[in-house]
Amino acid sequence: MTIGTGLSLALLLSACSGDSESSGGEESDGAIEVWAHAGQAAESEALQSLVDEFNSSQEDVTAELTLIPEADYTSTIQSTSAEDLPEVMEMDAPTMASFVYDRKLIPLEDVVSADALDNRIGGVEESGTYNDATYAVGMFDVGLGLWGNKTLLDEAGIEAPTTADEAWTVDEFDTYVAELAEVAPSGKAIDLGEANGFAAEWGTFTTTPDIWSAGGTLMLDGEADGVLNSQENVDALERWASWKEFADPNTSGTAFPDGETALTWTGNWMYPTFSEALGEDLVLMPLPDFGQGTKAGHGSWQWGATPTAEGNTEAAGAFLDFLLSDDSINAMVEANAAVPGSTSALEQSELYGPDKPLELFADNLASACGSEDVTEECIAVARPVTPGYPTVTSAFGSALLAIWGGADVQDELDSAARAIDSDFADNDGYQND
Amino acid sequence: MAAPAISLLLLFVAVPFLASIGFSLYNVRLGDPRDPSFMGLTQYVRILTDPDVSGQFLDALLHNLIFAAVVVPVQTALALALALLVKKNLPGMGVFRSLYFLPVVFPIALVAIIWRLILARGDQGLLNSALAFFSGGAFGSQDWLGSELTALASVIVLSIWQGCGFQMVILLAALQQVPPELYEAAELDRANGWQRFVHVTLPGVRTTLVFVALYTTILSLRVFDQIYVLAKSGGGLNEDATRTVMYEAVTAAFDENNIGRASAISVVFFLIVVVLSLIQRRVTTEKEG
Repeated sequence: MTIGTGLSLALLLSACSGDSESSGGEESDGAIEVWAHAGQAAESEALQSLVDEFNSSQEDVTAELTLIPEADYTSTIQSTSAEDLPEVMEMDAPTMASFVYDRKLIPLEDVVSADALDNRIGGVEESGTYNDATYAVGMFDVGLGLWGNKTLLDEAGIEAPTTADEAWTVDEFDTYVAELAEVAPSGKAIDLGEANGFAAEWGTFTTTPDIWSAGGTLMLDGEADGVLNSQENVDALERWASWKEFADPNTSGTAFPDGETALTWTGNWMYPTFSEALGEDLVLMPLPDFGQGTKAGHGSWQWGATPTAEGNTEAAGAFLDFLLSDDSINAMVEANAAVPGSTSALEQSELYGPDKPLELFADNLASACGSEDVTEECIAVARPVTPGYPTVTSAFGSALLAIWGGADVQDELDSAARAIDSDFADNDGYQND
Repeated sequence: MAAPAISLLLLFVAVPFLASIGFSLYNVRLGDPRDPSFMGLTQYVRILTDPDVSGQFLDALLHNLIFAAVVVPVQTALALALALLVKKNLPGMGVFRSLYFLPVVFPIALVAIIWRLILARGDQGLLNSALAFFSGGAFGSQDWLGSELTALASVIVLSIWQGCGFQMVILLAALQQVPPELYEAAELDRANGWQRFVHVTLPGVRTTLVFVALYTTILSLRVFDQIYVLAKSGGGLNEDATRTVMYEAVTAAFDENNIGRASAISVVFFLIVVVLSLIQRRVTTEKEG
């Protein structure tokens, strides 16, 4: 019988990863491998030209870039043993702790220059820190917001808030989506990003601001029961699911830039597309306030060095320092409109800063906090930093997909909380080093 | 002589199977360099009794069985009907044969993406807008993939659409092997079209039909790709109404890094499939006898 054979073989091959003896460590011929995710085309092109530029700028180190499709990126790293990893790799912010736990990342204090580390903005510094050590450095951070089409908002007689203090309350938001559905050409007010898949990481990233703003969170002290399935979270996600009748499934992928919907709930990376399509009509607003002030997600793709780089940390360090230079950061954020990850690059930015189009995102990041201590004042909140994050996001994502499909919110969150707690119990709370 | 075959079987069937029995007894985490701790039969106890885990596993098993119960007869019958149609010697028949075979060439993941556009909820879905057009707007928009009632049915329809052409080609080859003299003799005996189909065509392609049905059963038991693509990449597929055993095993292993549970699911499923194939074998050999 062939059922399961392929799977078992894959498991056999992947689970037999031995202890992390570095193989390429001794040779310091200056060649390093680099893995990154293939995201938006503009982003990947920018990265490729940065690598080319790095290789021609000096003769000691040659970086060889491999791009891996975004959907498979994290599981590729997960199923590659530490000694087969490249010297330098990219990772999504919330997966960092899990890779540290799997001994696939080394601390960067002695790899990256102190100047580059000191120059990081607060959000990037927080996303790269685990157990008081720096394991990742980011070229940028992200912002999540509500984008509006001014023509349609005016038609409905609705004024767009511009700062976090003016954010719509969730009741106002309920009223406005109903009104905007009347004026939007597609008959739907908003694209909530369901085409990106709520069961994937996008679901966790896009809905956690709702529960943080309602006073809830995902986990506290390694426990999900009583936290993830709290009344605040249930109420917030019931609201979120109730917007489905006003939400455009966006099968074309261009509902908002085509002017078919009045609002869309997405991140900074869409700014180049939106501003080209809508021009002066594009407005950026904070997400609705569920009671504890508007919240937004943060934490994005960042870079780390693996045990393979040990013994050759100078080469990895030279490459990372190059990526963290203001010129590299500027080239990258020109492609994805992200918040520049260094203080000096942020100051020169044409998008972020007083009276600039994406001022709101930079302001949000200025008051950032972790998901265990969300206060009313903090706006950008990081997803939980725990090695068990893959289970957290998988269980929560499945619950979101079911809730969006009409399932009972309390039941789904109860079962997600049990799945998470059982996984943490199996692994001693991911406390062992 | 048999050494290469046996060593390949050992390497690709026996070793992985024994390894997954081993993994299922330990808390093996994907990518974790620590030595896995022994858990005994905990994973099996959870799969069979824990309300959360076993609820999902039994649902998944049920979906596999429903899928097989619908797809095997419907797809085989449809493939036979198509094969009879394209067997006729009419001008341009090659075009029809290629068209019916075309979906087989597409990977099922691509088929899922195409059908995601057809079945999309709201007025933009091709199926919804077609139904609204032909019913003059009387037929409201359905959430084909998201609704509990239609999610599995939608997956079944797109799977049959993709898989049917392959069975058609196999059955077409079998139909062309049926000696024309038998049809001539039947006509001389004044057998009508239906009688010729039942007494000449069906017995002539019997063994091929059994093969096609067995093959489709195996495919239905390991259905995975289309469900994963539609649930995880924005199709909005109702996961609770469509999860299959392979989906459970793969998501446990690669989304939750839980190799132990994934292995236990594979082992339990292996046993179930062995029992099903024994039953099927007995039924088909009895008929032949």
